[in-house]
Amino acid sequence: MSEAVVQHGAVARPVGGGAMRRLHLGTALAGGLILGFVAWYLSHHFLADTDDPEASNQVTSITMVGWAIGFMIGIGAFRGPWRWMLGKDQTHEDETFYAGKDQGIGRYFRFTTDHKVVGIQYLVVTMVLLAVGGTLAMMIRTDLITKDSRFLGPQTYNSVVGLHGLVMIIATIIMVTGPFGNFIVPIMIGARDMAFPRLNALSLWLIVAAIPVLLSAGFLGGIPTGWSGYAPLSDQAPPGMDAYLMTIIIFAISSAIAGANITTTILTMRARGMTWNRTPIFVWGTMASVGLAIPAFPMFMSAMVLLGVDRTAGAQFFVASAGGSPWLYANLFWIMGHPEVYVIVIPAVAALMEIAPVFARKPLFNYNAAVLAIVGIVGLSIMVWAHHMYASGWAPDLNGPFMLTTELISIPTGLLFLVVVGTIWRGRVWTTLPMLAVYAMLWNFIIGGITGIYLSDVPADYALHGSMFVTAHFHYTLMGAGLTGAIGALAYWFPKMTGRTLHKRAGFISFWLVQIGFNVTFIGMFAVGLAGQPRRVEHYASLFGVGNFVSTMGAYTIGIGMLVLLYAVVSSWRHGAIAISNPWGSKTLEWTVPNPIPLENFEVLPVVIADPYGYGEGDPALTGVGAGATPVTVGSGPPERTSVGSDGEST
Amino acid sequence: MSTSQLGDRARGWWQRRETRGIFAIWTVLTIALIAFGFVPSHIMGPPASPTMRAVEDTMTIFTIAAAPVAAIVWAIALYSLLRWRHRGDEIPTQDGPAIRSNGPATTVWLVLSSILCAFLLIWGLAEETAVARPATAANALVINVTGQQWVWTFSYPGQGNVESDQLYLPLNRPVVFHVTSKDVIHSFWIVQMGIKIDANPGESTETSVIPDRLGVFDIRCAELCGLLHADMETSAHVVNADDFARWVNANGGHV
Amino acid sequence: MAIRRAVIGLATAVGGGAAVVALTGMVLHENGPNTAPLSAAVRGTAQTSQGPMPHAFLTLATYPDSMAGEHGKSGGAHPDWVSYGPSSSLRVPAHALVTITINQYDSGGTITNPFFAQARGTLGGTMTVNGKSETKTNADAVGHTFTIHAAPTNQDPLFVSVPLPAQDDNAQPAPGSDYPKPIVVQFSFITKGPGEYAWNCEFPCGDGYYAKFGGPMATRGYMSGTFTVV
Repeated sequence: MSEAVVQHGAVARPVGGGAMRRLHLGTALAGGLILGFVAWYLSHHFLADTDDPEASNQVTSITMVGWAIGFMIGIGAFRGPWRWMLGKDQTHEDETFYAGKDQGIGRYFRFTTDHKVVGIQYLVVTMVLLAVGGTLAMMIRTDLITKDSRFLGPQTYNSVVGLHGLVMIIATIIMVTGPFGNFIVPIMIGARDMAFPRLNALSLWLIVAAIPVLLSAGFLGGIPTGWSGYAPLSDQAPPGMDAYLMTIIIFAISSAIAGANITTTILTMRARGMTWNRTPIFVWGTMASVGLAIPAFPMFMSAMVLLGVDRTAGAQFFVASAGGSPWLYANLFWIMGHPEVYVIVIPAVAALMEIAPVFARKPLFNYNAAVLAIVGIVGLSIMVWAHHMYASGWAPDLNGPFMLTTELISIPTGLLFLVVVGTIWRGRVWTTLPMLAVYAMLWNFIIGGITGIYLSDVPADYALHGSMFVTAHFHYTLMGAGLTGAIGALAYWFPKMTGRTLHKRAGFISFWLVQIGFNVTFIGMFAVGLAGQPRRVEHYASLFGVGNFVSTMGAYTIGIGMLVLLYAVVSSWRHGAIAISNPWGSKTLEWTVPNPIPLENFEVLPVVIADPYGYGEGDPALTGVGAGATPVTVGSGPPERTSVGSDGEST
Repeated sequence: MSTSQLGDRARGWWQRRETRGIFAIWTVLTIALIAFGFVPSHIMGPPASPTMRAVEDTMTIFTIAAAPVAAIVWAIALYSLLRWRHRGDEIPTQDGPAIRSNGPATTVWLVLSSILCAFLLIWGLAEETAVARPATAANALVINVTGQQWVWTFSYPGQGNVESDQLYLPLNRPVVFHVTSKDVIHSFWIVQMGIKIDANPGESTETSVIPDRLGVFDIRCAELCGLLHADMETSAHVVNADDFARWVNANGGHV
Repeated sequence: MAIRRAVIGLATAVGGGAAVVALTGMVLHENGPNTAPLSAAVRGTAQTSQGPMPHAFLTLATYPDSMAGEHGKSGGAHPDWVSYGPSSSLRVPAHALVTITINQYDSGGTITNPFFAQARGTLGGTMTVNGKSETKTNADAVGHTFTIHAAPTNQDPLFVSVPLPAQDDNAQPAPGSDYPKPIVVQFSFITKGPGEYAWNCEFPCGDGYYAKFGGPMATRGYMSGTFTVV
């Protein structure tokens, strides 16, 4: 970890709650293993008829609940309520300690409440998940390198496909709103921390607790269903399916907590003068994303609860012969599933809209249209879910109306392109890595969008649904726009988050490897999809040989590119040149705070008098690097929140 | 603003270097993308039914309709990299023009995208009606399709319940498929005919088509259905009416 | 110095990452049934409607548990699962007459799709059950089926399915054996060109799972496998 960020100093001696102060990742793992073992032993002892699939599902589920609770106890997630119940509520000193004051690198391995620590933790968790999901992608592509490689075999292949899907969905959901929503947004709006710092840490550590649960699926017979977990195939699946549903339940809790926290923060803690018209577009995007997740994920969670009851107690919610319905599952899943893709894409594109004005040195083009486009997409996205079910046979009469709502989304999405292109128009385009990501998004997202229009057309979808064409399409949106946006955001905010400069050349090499590899991979996949290769098949007709080989080569290129990016991030974090406070000459508030950022961000809370896009508007003090590089007046605001302890939970 | 003033503005706008440059790139890109519009239908192969022909036409038409839009975005992006690029490692010393918005540009963009969207919808609805037409034909051949882990079986209730693991269809006669599943969800897909419908346990779903090309076509399962999903394939043979009758009789049925 | 560090770092990241991926691949590749394929024994030439052809023989068995097949005497992870033996990976010659004999030791019940209670794709549409020629079996007393299917594009279609009649539920073990006296089912078919096919059982025998198609039905090495024509 960089000395530029870490504040060295003597570790404060524990004043009260000594044991509570010594909890960290190690005690969390111990707690999880102990309680997991106890849960396994007891359930195995009392329910053990392992010949019976239902009993082994029960034992698996109970063990995982034990692990998760033990882990959360071990990390100290419950210390606040616990001390509150004992009547020894946390003091200001406790709160400062738990915010990670003067704890060096150790604070990254604890239940630390400082939003900057949580942001970095989210970044690392995202990178770990991307690495796992990427490795699984390499497995998939290696199996498909020839028509009959039999590298994995059908059982392992199906499981790897499901794991890759779910790991990547979780990774991409958190990849922008996690690291940047937590680290950057509070500073960007001029706040000292999130509204609920403890909930912030809780949402992060729930995801950490869920990762071993998810990966354990591989050792429990796998997930034969793909990430969509369609019933009744999931009713039939081995205990790996319990790992899947438990992961989603934990993740849904985490995302609800994060969503409540981030929306509350943005709604109530923006700096004085930061009206909605002056709120940076990335803040809008973050709020749209987490706000959309709030209604969406409970649907998925309830589907998982029903599935869990099906699997452990024979409830048969999704079993047609018992009066249940597979279409019930599909509806619940997609009512979550379509908003979810916008949960992923909106903050990534919003980050790129934040980046474009900085590197075009121009105001964001038609800010109001950008806001309306985001709001429009959010609104429409909850009304389009059944376009995933055109070919399901469920309510064919609704195919027309869902085609209407789906195609309407092209209008606000088109506005987003207008905003970005209008911002670039006649700008002074400074082609840094973040700006290249904007251009890559313009290329990839157009392709992802147009192929989405084919799929929104009912008859064309009958032909293409369930084929590799669909796989290629959503990778163009989630990866081509989403992951590209996240990489752009990482490159953009890296100097602020780490205090170091990202290695430029390695960044560029990685960018080109990833983007070229990406396009090769998924153009090959479009071709085999059009030619008729279904999704999620372990082997295929020789007709699809060339396209698949090309895809695999492209995928390896992406893999190498991502490893170069990993190198760039790790080496720059450790040895990179020390970054100045505002290296890009940006005008948003996060660039006004010094490096390293003080625990409470702002000594005096700023007052905002303009939006952060006043590039080229005449005032020389507003351009270039330096103290005057922001459109804010600092100092006239009263210190409203003086301590991290005065958050909503404890007062 | 009078007409002549508008004319002056337009002329002045056209005089600008970037307008002409971007227009040139846009023209090239649009032509290239329109030419590319015929690639998807080529990859999809010769259609074996009017439904597939409609789908392939849709792919072509939509690509052509999207071509100018994609081209303008990419043209401006490309031009900005060629002409408006700031070279160097330092922040540009001068900012760009402080253009906050542009009413006409936004209006034109919104109107055009709304028109395109309306076109997509009307086209799609008309096409949807067209491909559903075989279902109502009086002389339609009814075939029951059963998906189960991991095979397809077919039976012909009007032909003395002839059963088969492969599909035999008479040329140019409308066919209605009643599709169901014995276990999990499968998806019945005749690739070259462009039809697909899920096989759901406990439900019967329907799709229809008029096969209009002789040959052997691919039937695949398009919904992940477990271990041997990739092997859940069979063939659809489109034959002359006489050959169809012969096949039915040989399998113990009657036409 | 800085360049050297960059090169070493880059090599470590890319090489290390590739190594992790390769290691994962090796582990996953090994994770699955690795039984040696069972090759059909060619004995002599048979006269068929398509002229003289090599005649290949395969003998298989279906057990009510997993303690006699490819999982060894201990039965592996799931000794109580039904299984085929001696191997799930089968290999036969192309353009040959293939005769398969299956010793059926397991009980059964009603098949969900009566289509599979009939012999299909065999010579003459028949099979022999304990030496007696039959075209189908009682759909309410099927033990398993042996079904080779899939006609992936660009290889010759092959579809062969025979029902294996069920043992009586009260059948007693034969002397000196854990299993009752087998029901012997024999059938023949002609292979075309080389290809990779799948075979599996179409009688739902994964008791306790939805549609009885989980467990041994959905796990490699029990009730499904590969059928390679070389």
